Formats: sequence, structure tokens, C-alpha cells
Amino acid sequence: MFGSVLIANRGEIALRIARTLRRMEIESIAVFSDADAGAPHVLAADRAIHIGPTAAAHSYLDVEKIVQAAITSGAEAIHPGYGFLSERSDFAQACIDAGLTFIGPSPEAIALLGDKAAAKQAAIAAGVPVVPGLSFAGLSAAHGAERADSAERAGGAERELSDAQIGEWVAGQELPVLLKAAGGGGGRGMRVVHSLDELPDQLAAARREAQAAFGDARLIVERYIEHARHIEVQVIADAHGKVLHLGERECSLQRRHQKVIEEAPSPVVDAELRAKMGAAAVALAQSCGYTGAGTVELIAERDAPERFHFLEMNARLQVEHPVTEAVTGLDLVELQLRIAAGQPLQMTQDEVQLNGHAIEARIYAEDPGNGFLPSSGRVIAYREPYEAWAGGQATPSRGPLRIDSGVAAGGEVGTAYDPMLAKLIAHAPDRGGALRTLTRGLAETLVLGPTTNIAWLQALLTRPEVQAGALDTTLIERLGPELAPTPADENRLTAGLALVALVGQPCSEDPWDARDGWQLQGATPATMRLETAHGETVTAQAMPDGSGGWQAAGASVRLLGDALQVQREDGSAACVEVHRDGEAVWLFDRSSPNPIPVRYAPARALATRHAAGGSLQAPMPGVVLEVRTSAGAEISAGQLLIVLESMKMELSVASPRDGVVEHVHVATGERVSEGQPLLELRQEVDPADTGTTSSGDTERNPAQPTRRVGPPPKEEP
Amino acid sequence: MTQLQTHVDPGSAQFQGNEAEHRRLADELRERLARAALGGGQRARQRHLERGKLLPRERVRLLCDPGAPFLELCPLAAEELYDGDAPSAGIVTGVGLVEGRHVLVIANDATVKGGTYYPETVAKHLRAQRAALENRLPCVYLVDSGGAFLPRQDEVFPSREHFGRIFFNQANMSAAGIPQIAAVLGSCTAGGAYVPAMSDETVIVANQGTIFLGGPPLVKAATGEIVSAEKLGGGELHATRSGVVDHLAEDDEDALRIVRSIVATLPQMPMPPWERIAAREPLVSGESLYGAIPPDSRTPYDPRELLARILDGSELHEFKATYGSTVVCGFGHIHGHPVGVIANHGILFSESALKAAHFVELCDQRGVPLLFLQNISGFMVGSEYEASGIAKDGAKMVAAVSTARVPKLTVIVGGSFGAGNYGMCGRAYDPRFLWMWPNARISVMGGEQAATVLSTVRVDQAAARGEQVPEAELEEMKAQLREQYERQGHPYYATARLWDDGVIDPLQTRRVLGLALGVCGKAPLAERVAPVFRM
Repeated sequence: MFGSVLIANRGEIALRIARTLRRMEIESIAVFSDADAGAPHVLAADRAIHIGPTAAAHSYLDVEKIVQAAITSGAEAIHPGYGFLSERSDFAQACIDAGLTFIGPSPEAIALLGDKAAAKQAAIAAGVPVVPGLSFAGLSAAHGAERADSAERAGGAERELSDAQIGEWVAGQELPVLLKAAGGGGGRGMRVVHSLDELPDQLAAARREAQAAFGDARLIVERYIEHARHIEVQVIADAHGKVLHLGERECSLQRRHQKVIEEAPSPVVDAELRAKMGAAAVALAQSCGYTGAGTVELIAERDAPERFHFLEMNARLQVEHPVTEAVTGLDLVELQLRIAAGQPLQMTQDEVQLNGHAIEARIYAEDPGNGFLPSSGRVIAYREPYEAWAGGQATPSRGPLRIDSGVAAGGEVGTAYDPMLAKLIAHAPDRGGALRTLTRGLAETLVLGPTTNIAWLQALLTRPEVQAGALDTTLIERLGPELAPTPADENRLTAGLALVALVGQPCSEDPWDARDGWQLQGATPATMRLETAHGETVTAQAMPDGSGGWQAAGASVRLLGDALQVQREDGSAACVEVHRDGEAVWLFDRSSPNPIPVRYAPARALATRHAAGGSLQAPMPGVVLEVRTSAGAEISAGQLLIVLESMKMELSVASPRDGVVEHVHVATGERVSEGQPLLELRQEVDPADTGTTSSGDTERNPAQPTRRVGPPPKEEP
Repeated sequence: MTQLQTHVDPGSAQFQGNEAEHRRLADELRERLARAALGGGQRARQRHLERGKLLPRERVRLLCDPGAPFLELCPLAAEELYDGDAPSAGIVTGVGLVEGRHVLVIANDATVKGGTYYPETVAKHLRAQRAALENRLPCVYLVDSGGAFLPRQDEVFPSREHFGRIFFNQANMSAAGIPQIAAVLGSCTAGGAYVPAMSDETVIVANQGTIFLGGPPLVKAATGEIVSAEKLGGGELHATRSGVVDHLAEDDEDALRIVRSIVATLPQMPMPPWERIAAREPLVSGESLYGAIPPDSRTPYDPRELLARILDGSELHEFKATYGSTVVCGFGHIHGHPVGVIANHGILFSESALKAAHFVELCDQRGVPLLFLQNISGFMVGSEYEASGIAKDGAKMVAAVSTARVPKLTVIVGGSFGAGNYGMCGRAYDPRFLWMWPNARISVMGGEQAATVLSTVRVDQAAARGEQVPEAELEEMKAQLREQYERQGHPYYATARLWDDGVIDPLQTRRVLGLALGVCGKAPLAERVAPVFRM
């Protein structure tokens, strides 16, 4: 076994790998960029090596730097985790060339499986059913499996498909179809095309995303099965020819092709189907000469899961591997390490037993109330559910609840990396129990600072479809706004509480420090205009009760330490947590049916907010991808002006009104910060517009994610 | 330190009677304050709100830190004057906290005759500025005023303590490093235009605030130019072209937030020039004050009963307890601030005056603020006392009080008559703040004494001419004088004319003094000076 292993990753997966290394008494070596100095994954490792600036391209994605770090630190092997370099054959090769062990499959296998078209050919060759599609002659040729049958037709001798070729194929197909990046997975560069009209735009966007994400703009296209389940099979293969499958995971709950809830086993896969899927997966792995842990992703028809098709094979550890670990009792990272060290798999397929049911939820820094825009900022408070720490996470398969997280209070969630903060994994004898544990676990998880999808996940888990296991990959999209939490209503109720928290307790017995609203003619209420995290302003009021407490939000409220004791008129009581965040406060009522942390800050002067006048501002930090207008251009309301990339997503900034572009402040490739003016619109002075209305509603930026699930953006008057 | 005890019997008829009367007076005070706080009539308020403007007290509330106390000054100015047309004299003044800093707020009430300045409005504005100057408090002017009240221009315009003094004060405070900040929330015409123009930093509300030396009617009369108020002096103009203002706000709330933001840029307030210790509540319940203190100033009582209810821990380090016992002097604390208390316990004799003068010197030497609790009918008279030089002893007390550099606070808790008012730091002696209780009376002498003196003079004058004054005529004259003195000596008559900083509920005394001491502590102590004391 290795004496030391370098973890070429960050966040929760780096921590998770370090845990197993520690248990196996192998030295762990972390790497970190500027942004991650002092990050939890750095602290969790035995040693840590700085590898460069924040930009992933110059740190976590820099093959040379990582390999160099391994050499200088004396590591014998490198675990790539998932994402970053995990599926880069050149990286695997570079490790080998440097005399290091790459913990994963061979560069050849990675290259083959990383090319969707080639992988599909391999699947066909191994007898795995595939979805009809159009691919091209590519890396598959090297594998010697190039062939076109009725289901899979190559576009020609070229090593890529032109827009015209794709268009021609799509025209002859049943819609919708799916455009996919040939060079990578994870939902990036993936577009569903519902009509021929939208094909050109979608092609352009998909190519652009594919180029940005993988440095490869090549696309393939295939039929899109609308009501599909995403079921994937975990395989594990040693270097001695033994390949086992560890059962399936169902990952049908996806939002924009991004998995959010995963479970094992699938509620619709029985032993027979499991064996059939498993055999197909094993056959494919064997045919590629695969070693280590890998996942064969399948698309199964929702109501006939026995009709499944090959989607792709991921040559790495998956994000959702813990659910398999929970039900099999295996430590997949340990197996990866043993296989990489040349040890044979000791168990047989029959010895792989599934025990109970496990469900994972991914906590993302994103805002479900605002089109799932990624959210960034300092983590003000972070608390995991009680059972997670009571259950002992050192052994991944123990305890009813496991949390794999990479965040800590005081840390910064930036836009440079993946917005996933943590994974919550519940394990119970049956699916219902796992759902209950997971729901409770989510309610007990507190992340303050960046907005998260926690409450949204809770709402999702309580849906009857989810409870019944009636899942498909578009369920979330169909539920859409039904799942969106409504923080606005919550705000009005809690603003009074926030005011009490903001006013705080007297810092001394000086009568000037008292906050009892004292005046000669009697106590007066405290009033304050507050601003929520979404920029909505609310006027809050609270009346001092003369004995240190307040009447606010229809309740009597008292601030004790960092908690508000709330006694409502209906007799109910609550204890609302208060977390301070500069001049703002966060409130969190764990006992609320909709426990969303809410942030209030004293409202800022409008004058400052409007300082930029007729300027359009960046809705979030990112990089300018494209500027589609120029100074002097006449534009109309809703017209797309600037495309930003932020946290691996494209954001379109559209014009809020008709007008003329006065000045463009930014250029392609420029990094912008949140609120930074992007361009200036000539202000059309409309007397009705400049009235003295008390403006709670500042102009919300009309930017929306290009791929949007929610309702269309509200038009500005 | 002596722990003061109470000797009153809460079960006694006197206690009950005192309490009932104080309660009645406090209720009346609250009613008056509530009425004054409304400002102009219902219609004027409605019109004001319809314009999207906030009422002045709401403005003050939003300007100040939420929940923080506000020490209003002279809330009953112009009370009962002008047929009740000028509640609070159309202006709200007081000390509040903005971003943790004590500031003096002056807010016009446009619901009262358009916020124009009556004589009492001018006096109240100048009084507030004096408080700012003496205590080095940044000034925030929330301007919404049409300028001088033209029908009374002779009472507001020409003299030293009239309208022009406002700007004189602004310039001199600014020169002294006391920030002057204005928010123009309405009209700001003629002289009023100088309030923002003379401020260090100024905010205006767009499409609402206007600043001009001459309004549209005057411009039309003078030059024939027809121009709208907004064009002539609106926010947009002043913020983008004239440079008269520095910040353009969207509305009242926005303007107030900008002012808060300006105040946040000011340096933090200094610590008081004396040591403040941890505050303790009095051991004798303040609540029993009503019953313990006779409301009628003619009923004598021991002022230690009052001190036991307002001093921290009811503790007093009494000075010369056995000498000049008609005045009680001693050191104590109020809300942790040290104070030297001087309280009357009967008429002032030579010994009492000397003791008080000595004590004032002690406090001034040690930098301890002075608190005068006035309940005084005057100095002793009579040949024996004149012969022993009570006039020069009284003069020593008056001289010491006049020249003391430490902050002086005065509360008139009973009578305030004659030279007793001087020795006990009446309004003329520049106490930093002066309040009256609702049961107090103030006049050059008591109504009864005045009636007797004047009727005696009348009888003597008649006798010199060999005439006699009919008894009925004398009685009528005396009754008239008694009525006049009672009316003019009444706290609401006094407070309407700015003779004090407000009438307070006796139960508020401790809190008001604690707040006031905090305010006084914002200014450093001056160099100690000494007059020639007539020995």
C-alpha cells in the first residue's frame, strides 16, 4: 500500500478521501489555490501544498503543477477525486510518466470513455443498448470499435459534426433531441431542442459552453427520451481482470441535468433487472479494460425501466458514491486505493449485498427563489445535523445520517469553483425511513451566508411523486415554481423580529444605550427600513414593552443572547436563532414549516444604489463572455446585450427597456464583480417615472440564467 | 456616603393626597404633550402625508437609531399662544442618537402654518442651537419651512436673538468644529434657504425640497419671470447645477438615511470629562416620589426625600450637613455620572448661601457637574439679616454659580421666586438644561407677597396724598395680582415662552437627568475662572 497520497481536488471530496486515507494510515497531501488557503480540505490533510492562483486553470486544472506538487511532496499516488483532472487522460498519463500511481483507470480507458461518441461505440460493441443518435468518427477508431448500425450512424469521416450535419439529422427525427458536448459531461454543453427553430441558437450556446468547459466545441446529438429515469451502475474493476458491479443508483431527480437527489437502490429496479443492468455495465467495463471505480450511466424509460439505454460511462468516483457505500457497507475510496496498489478484489459478485436504502441530497450555494442563480459570499454560520456528528463520520457507512461537506463558518464560497457545499446521506432499513431521516437532517442543517437550496430540497422530498418513487428526469422541471420557496411572505412576518435583533441589547446601563424608545411623552416604536438578501425593502416596526422586551410581528419578543424568544398571540412559542453578519442579521427558525434563513440589513440610501443611473449592472461576479451591443446601438426591451459566465453558468443580461446604449464599460474576457456597471443606457426621462414614490422596489436586474426553469422574467415597466 | 432613608408614611392621608395631585398633574402634562406632538390640524397633516412627506416626529424617529431615547427640548413651546395655532411652536428640537452619536435635531413642522417661524419658533431654534454649541453636538436640520411668519416680522426679524442669529450660529458652530448638516425635505424659502446653504453637508429630496431666496411669486413680482418652484430651486437643480446641496434623495426616508450616512462619517463622541461609574438604581423606589413630595410649593419638605429617589443607590455624601441647613449640598451619582447636588430646604440665609457658594467652588474645582433642585421662596429679609450682609453672601452664591465652568442642570421642583431663582441657577445663569415640574411656580415673588407689597405701596401713596383706599378696591387689586402671578407663574405659561426646556413628569426626573448628563459630557470643561467675591 502507498505511504502517501496526494489529493488533487478540493472541497468535500478532498475531505472524504482524506478521511479514508487517515483510517488506512496513509499520509494525505492536500493541494490548494489562493482562494482555498485555510479551507477545510487543507486542514483535514496531513500536509498541504499551495499550487497557484484561484483560477482553476492555473491551479486545480494545471497538470504540471499537480504532478510537481506530488513529486516534491514525495507522494506515491494521486487521487483525482471527481471533476477537475479526474477524467483527463493526459493527466493520468502525466502521473504515470512521472512515476506516480494515478488512482483511476488507464489513460486509454479515460480517453475512450471521455469521448461520448467513442464510448457509445464501445457500448454498442459490448452489447449495451444505446439511444439513437448522430456521432462522428473519432477516438472510437483507436479502440477499433467503429461501426455504424441502425441505432448509431456516424456523421462522416470528419472528426466532428457540423451544424448542418446535425440539422439534417434532427430534421429527420422525432423531437426533442439532445445536444451534448463530445468532450465532457456534468450537464455543461447540454441542450434540449424542442423545435427546429431554436436549433441554431441552442447549437451556438452548446458549443460555447462545451468550449468553455472542456476546451472542445464538438457536439453530438441524440434522441431525447422525455420521461426517463437516470439509473447508473457502480462498477469496480481490479487490475487482475475481475469486474464487479455494486448495484445501481437512481439519480432521476435532476435540475437542468444536474443531479440533486440520488438513491440506492432504485425504487423500480428488482433483483432481475439489477443483474441485467449490472451485467451490461460489467461487460462494458471489461471491454474497455477498465480498472478502479467507474459508473455506467443508463437512461431507463420511466414506466418501463427494463428498457434502458447506455448514456455514458464516468471513469471516476461519482459525487453520489456514498449511497452505494451506505447500502453495500464498502468504502469505495479504499477499494480504489487497493486496486491502484495492485491488490486484487477479495469479494465475489454474490458477496455484494445491498442493505437497506440510502438517499443523498446535494446542498448547493444557489438561490431557488431567484432562478437558481449561484450564490456566493462568506459563510456566516454552518451547522450540521446532530446525528451526523453523533453518528461518527469516519466510517462512511455507519450512522443514519452522513454529511460530506467542504464548508466551514468563516469560509468564502466563491464563484471560481463548483457551488456544491455539502451532501447529506441518509441510510435506513427502508426508503420511507431514509426519506424521513434526510428531511429531518436537512431541517437541521444550517448554512448562513450564501443562499442555499436546503428548503427547496425539503420541499422536493415531501412531494408525493418523490415519496412514491415515481421519478423521472424532468419531474423537477415540471414541478417548477411549486417547489420554489416563498421567502417574501416570510419576510414580512419576520422583519419585526429582525429589527429587534438589529437593535440588540443595551451595551451598558447608560440611559442613552437603552433601546426602549424613551421620550418625554412616552415610549415610541422603533422603525427601520430593512433590506432582504434579495434587495426587497420592508419597513419593520417594534414597540418596546417597557421591560426590555418588544411587541413585534404580532408577538412578544425578547432577545436573549443570540436567540429571539418569540411568544405569539396564539400561544405558540418559538426560539429564533440570530446570527450577526456585519451590520446585518440572519434569522433562522428551525421549527418553522419553511425554515429558510433570512437576512436583513438596514436599508441603504437609494441614492447610492442609483448612483449608476441608467446603468445595467452585473447580477453576480463572473467573466464577460460576449458583448452583443456597442455604444450608440438602438436596443429594445428584453434584447440580449451581454453574456456573462459565472460559476460555470451562462447569464444573459437583457435590456430592461427600449433605448440607446450610451457606453459599454466591459469587454469580452473581462472579470466583473457583482453590481459592477456593464453598460450605460441613455435615460429616457419620463416624468411619471421620476415621481416621489417611496420606492421599496428598486430596479431588479433583468438578468436570468439562459436555461431557466422558473417563470419568464418580469418585464420592467 | 450616607444612604438616605425615607421617612414618609405611604399609608398617610398626606401621601395619598400628594400622589393623587401629582398624578393629576402628570396626566394633564401627558395630554398636553400628546396634543402638541400631533402638530397642525388633522387637515394639514393629511395634506402633508398626501404629498408623500413624513410628519416631523416620524422624520426624527427614522433619523435616529431605532429604539434609542430622544430628549426633546421645549415640546410645549407656544403652548396656549396664538389660540393654540402653533403647537410645539411648529418645530421639533431635541437630542437624539444617530449612528451612535449624540446629535441635536431641529425639524420644522410644515403642518403648523407651513413651518413658518413665530417668535417662539425662533427662540426654540436658537435655544436648541445653544444646546448644540454648549455641548458640542452636531446639528441636523430637517428643513421644511416657509421662513419667517410675516405677520409678526417685527418679533422675529430684526433683533439680536431673532432669525438672523440662526445663520450666525451655524457659521460659528461650523467654525468651532461642530458639524452642521441639513436635509431639505420641503420648502426652504428666503432666509430659510440659508439653513442648507450654510450647512457643512446638505441633502435634498428630489421633486419635493426647494431652496430659493425668492419664491416664484416674488420672482414674478420682481422681474416678471414665470417659473415653477421645482425649476427655480428643486433638488435636481441644486444637486446638479447650483451645487447648493451635496446629495439628492428620492424621498424623506432616503434623505434621512443619507443624513445617517453623513453622521456615520463624523468622529466618535468623546468620553465625558468626568469619571462615569456603574449605575445603580436608587434603593428608595422612585415610584413613591409622587406621594413623598408635596406638590404645593408652600408645603415644606426635606429634599433628601427627593434625593433618595433620584440618586444612584440613594447615596449622598453630604457637605456641611450641620451648617446652613436650609440648603442641602452633597455629592452623589445619577446613572453613574457624578453630580454635586444643591437642594433647597427652606429660605436662604447667609450661612446657606455661603455653604452653597463653597460647594459650587468644590464641584467646579473637581470637575463635577452641578444639579440644582429649586424649591425656593427667596433670601431671608429683615434688618438683622441685612445688617449681617446677606446681600453680599447671596452675591457670593450668585457669582459662584455664574462663573462655574462645570455643566449645571436645574430642575424647578417647587417654587422659584426672586433672587432664589438666581442663586439656584435660574434660566439667566445658563444651566445646560432647565426643567420644571408641573406643580412648580416661577415669578419674581409669590402672588400673595406681590399683592401685599403692591397694596401696601398703594395705601402708602394714597396716605401721602391724604387719601384712603377703599377696602373693596384693595381687595380687588390684590385678587387681580394674585390671579396674574398665579397665571404667569404657571409652568405652562413659562414653558410656552421658553423659560425652560420643558415640563417633565417628576417620575422622569432621574432618567432626564441621566440623559442630560450624558449630553453635557460631550463638551470638554473650560478653564476654571474666579470672580471677585465680596468678602
